[in-house]
Amino acid sequence: MPNLTQIALATGFGLILIGFYGALTRRSLLRIILAFTLASTGVNVVIVAIGYMRGRTAPILDEAVTTTTAVGRIIDPLPQALVLTAIVIGLGVTALMLAHAYRLFLRHGTLDIAAFRELKW
Amino acid sequence: MPNPILLIAVALGTAFLLGLLEERRRRLAWAISLAALAFLSWVPATWLLALATGQAAPVEILTAGAPPPFAINLRLGLAEAALTLLVNLTGLLTTLYLKDRLLDLGRRAMAVLLVAVMALDGLILTRDLFNLFVFVELTAIATAGLLLLSDDARALAAGFKYLMVAQFISVLLLIGILFAYHAGGTLNLDGLAGAPSVLGAGQGWILEAGGGFAFLLMFVALVAELKPFPANGWALDIYESAHPAFAALFAAASGTAALFAVDKLLTIGGSEWLGAATAIGLATFLIAHLCALPQDNDRRLLGYSSVAQTGLVLVGIGQRDLLGDRYFFVAFGLLAAHAVAKAGLYWLSGLMAERGLSAWAALRGQPWLILAFASFLALLTGLPPFPGFYAKWELIHHLAGADRLAPLGLILLGTLIEAGYLFRWFGYVIKRPPPASAPLPCPIHQALPILVALVGAWGLGWLWGELSGQTQLLLTWPLAFALLFLLLEWLPSWVKNTLAIAGLLAFFAATYDYYDPLRLIFALIFLVGGAIILLAGYATSGQRTGFYPSALLMYAGLAILVLAEDSFQFFAAWELLTIGSYFLILRGQAAEPHALSYLLFSLGGAFLLLTGFALAAQGAPQLALADLGGVPASLSGWVFVLLAIGFMTKTAALGLHVWLPGAHAEAETDVSPMVSGILLKAGLFGLFLLLMHLGRQQLYGIELTHVILWIGALTALFGNLLAAFQEDAKRLLAWSSIGQMGYALFGLALMNHLGWLMALMFVINHYIYKSMLFLSLGGVAKRTGTRDMYRMGGLITLMPLSFIAVLIGIIAISGVPPLSGFGGRWIFYNAILDTEARLPLVILFFAGPIAFLYLFRLIHTVFLGQLKDEHRRVREAPFWILLPQMLFVALLIAFALVPGVALRQVDGYIARFFPDGGLTWDGLSIVSHYGYWNPVSIMLIIGVIFMVVFAWLLFVNRRAQKVKQFNIAFAAERPYRPETTHFAWNFFAPYRKALGFLTLPLATRFWDTLADLLHAAGDLGRRLYTGNGQTYAFHFLAFASGLILWGLGVRP
Repeated sequence: MPNLTQIALATGFGLILIGFYGALTRRSLLRIILAFTLASTGVNVVIVAIGYMRGRTAPILDEAVTTTTAVGRIIDPLPQALVLTAIVIGLGVTALMLAHAYRLFLRHGTLDIAAFRELKW
Repeated sequence: MPNPILLIAVALGTAFLLGLLEERRRRLAWAISLAALAFLSWVPATWLLALATGQAAPVEILTAGAPPPFAINLRLGLAEAALTLLVNLTGLLTTLYLKDRLLDLGRRAMAVLLVAVMALDGLILTRDLFNLFVFVELTAIATAGLLLLSDDARALAAGFKYLMVAQFISVLLLIGILFAYHAGGTLNLDGLAGAPSVLGAGQGWILEAGGGFAFLLMFVALVAELKPFPANGWALDIYESAHPAFAALFAAASGTAALFAVDKLLTIGGSEWLGAATAIGLATFLIAHLCALPQDNDRRLLGYSSVAQTGLVLVGIGQRDLLGDRYFFVAFGLLAAHAVAKAGLYWLSGLMAERGLSAWAALRGQPWLILAFASFLALLTGLPPFPGFYAKWELIHHLAGADRLAPLGLILLGTLIEAGYLFRWFGYVIKRPPPASAPLPCPIHQALPILVALVGAWGLGWLWGELSGQTQLLLTWPLAFALLFLLLEWLPSWVKNTLAIAGLLAFFAATYDYYDPLRLIFALIFLVGGAIILLAGYATSGQRTGFYPSALLMYAGLAILVLAEDSFQFFAAWELLTIGSYFLILRGQAAEPHALSYLLFSLGGAFLLLTGFALAAQGAPQLALADLGGVPASLSGWVFVLLAIGFMTKTAALGLHVWLPGAHAEAETDVSPMVSGILLKAGLFGLFLLLMHLGRQQLYGIELTHVILWIGALTALFGNLLAAFQEDAKRLLAWSSIGQMGYALFGLALMNHLGWLMALMFVINHYIYKSMLFLSLGGVAKRTGTRDMYRMGGLITLMPLSFIAVLIGIIAISGVPPLSGFGGRWIFYNAILDTEARLPLVILFFAGPIAFLYLFRLIHTVFLGQLKDEHRRVREAPFWILLPQMLFVALLIAFALVPGVALRQVDGYIARFFPDGGLTWDGLSIVSHYGYWNPVSIMLIIGVIFMVVFAWLLFVNRRAQKVKQFNIAFAAERPYRPETTHFAWNFFAPYRKALGFLTLPLATRFWDTLADLLHAAGDLGRRLYTGNGQTYAFHFLAFASGLILWGLGVRP
């Protein structure tokens, strides 16, 4: 019986692979960008899954979890923090890619990635 | 000391501040950006100074006031200070350079630029893995943004392709970091490495489950930032389409930061990954250079070169286990050379309106830009006195000491290919017609960055000389003197000429006491002989821009060469004289391809020397030349082969000779004697040293000196044969030089007393008569406007002094009495009686009469026969070209009369190596154990015979009637190709019929085919980069999977 971590990890890696596959096979810039968002979501799932510890609580200090008991009771807060940063960065990159795609479309009138091959060799 | 956190804070703060400014205050925004970047450059500069002088210790910056692992820490040590300085300074200069573009685009572009610089600084400073990831992503975003600075519409697509690959990288990096955290329990680099700053210690975590895989993922991701083959198509597109100022930043700063990130990562990985780094670096280095060969777009070519150079630095990083405390010296040397040169070249590219390589000929409008261009190329190829030279020297020595011969060979091969395309480009710049468009614009804000890069290049050369522990080349007198002429270019040429002559003579006088008899002969030829030939320089008026720095560079190399005591000095001198003479030869009118092939052969030869010296040094940084004999027997044969081939490249031995005829013939009138009469002797000098210290060597049972004997004999034969079939007078002389060098080679390889004496005799004689002949025929060519002998004739009455010089010269070469050539022959005949090698001997004898053929043709077709109508008003050659010739005539006669002055000392010196078979000097006679030679009585006897016959001829011809050339009637039409009806054309047709099969240009064909193959391979290789972003992504994935599979194999 797979536990939650394993399911999450499998989902995460599955998403990454789907994302990679999509980025390599779709020809529309928008689909490629979408594929990358899938992949980065997968990465985020993997990070959270790695940081998860069975039977512990969220890393928030309040009455239930005091500073003295925290070490034993909360999960590792670091991966969670990393996911937040990664999401922000992912957003930035996606936005930038979309901006590029938009301007490419304005200039060439197409979103087919095979159309942008003036630079080669 | 300023707090290093300011590096991040000020950049970020200014970027936000720019956002608060009004959009129209663009000048202000630009000024603020400049000020911020100047401050950002000042901070690491002060730290660098303090850290280097020991006034400060490396600092840890704890961002949240807590030590790691509870907070992120940054570190500023010597390496970080140097690298951030490099990055921020490049950022500053780029902002300056981009003035117009940034004022156009406004504050947002400037903010992105600042963020880019900040991200690169962060990459360098951070000691935290996740922080590293953040900075990698910031760099990617800023890069994609800054690509839009370009006015090239294609940059947009390049940006998208880059972002695609960046996404793949980011996924791998993030997963890797997380698994590393999972396995190691910390994100701190030093924590993961076990102990702070101790290489290779405590990598226990990596053995744990997942740790190795985690490292592998991070390694793949960060190495991919270095644009490794084949995952580098995106980078090439960026280089080609980005604004050149940004390409400069991308090459110099981004590459630097990424390299340091990989370096940091490797500290936690352990030494088995160094091999992977080396392999990736080497493959990238070689293949990128190969792909650069067929490029015609300057920016893409520079892109390939950047990719390759980054690969080379990665190879350096891969040798850190070997280099020990010299690691930073080598890696930084390679990196600094690449960064400064590439930034400079991209900035130069920004001045050009057109993208073709030949469009750079526009540089000729501004000579200092040519200097900058040449300096950057030398910096890239690792020529002295630049940092790459010192770094490569050490790298190669360490590789040879550790028996890593494959990387060693591949590095040198790649460098040779690189020199090929870079100096071919230099040839275009010097020789091709500049584009018709307006003169090169060079506003101050664009000139200044280039100037800084130029000064930086030389400054780094000085610094690396100081750090190398070797001779500081820039402070050697000869080189400093040569460089002085760069500053004196504005003077008229006669002033510079006088200064040059005085300098050569003064240096000879000052060093006179250092020479042993053998070196004295060579020093005399190099320095005093050089001064004599320089006399011909007075014939040129104007400034003669570029001539004196080049010539003096060559003489500097020669001067250091003859004084060299260790292998480093010798090799540095060798490269200096090679570069100097290359620049000299390139000055000739049609010399472009010939100068290039000269340079490539010479550099190839030099690299063989380097390998030979490195093998002989066995891991030591250099080797005293006198200790060459102490090389262990298992290596000495190989060392001998490498050095001998290296030297024979310079003497143009058969098979390696193809560069010589063109290079010597196409050079300017007074350059030909320099590169022929003087420069060829450098190779002989090397061979003397080699044979003196290593003596006879065997390899697989083959007696190597015997092989050289054969090469010498065949070279003499083919050199002479080909000389006889030339139509061009200077080419004839050039081929004759090949033959003459064959004789000298043969004499050396005889390995007996008289053989060496004969070789030395050839050294002296060849200098005198070949310099003289090149000058006189150069003078004739100057006056008649052609070098084809069949277009000349009857010049004896119009150019009598030139005629006398040629007459004396060919008497001396042919070795008939009474001139010094006869002395050479006499010693030669004595020498061969001492040897067993009969067959090469026969070949050499056969070569002798052939020399008569071409010499006869030379004097007959140029000076005798019918005067051409168009030459009726030709005057004698200019005085200053004649003067050295007359000096040479006097020298030849003097040397013929009293050869003892020069030879006696050397005879005694050679007796140290070959005590038997010397000559006895008995008054005016010279006695060997086969006979004696009295030069004075021979001269008298010949003189008397000549006078008697001459008087007899005058007597019998006293009634002969003088017939003017045109007192008979001419008839018939002018033939379609007049030369075919001229007796002097194809002069030796019957011989050609008989021996023509020997003159097939087999060696030329071989080398041409090799060059074609390399080109074809490069052209094939670059088709890999189809331009499709998905293909590039696929390349990346293929690279990543390959590396991961390999890595899993290493750590199953």
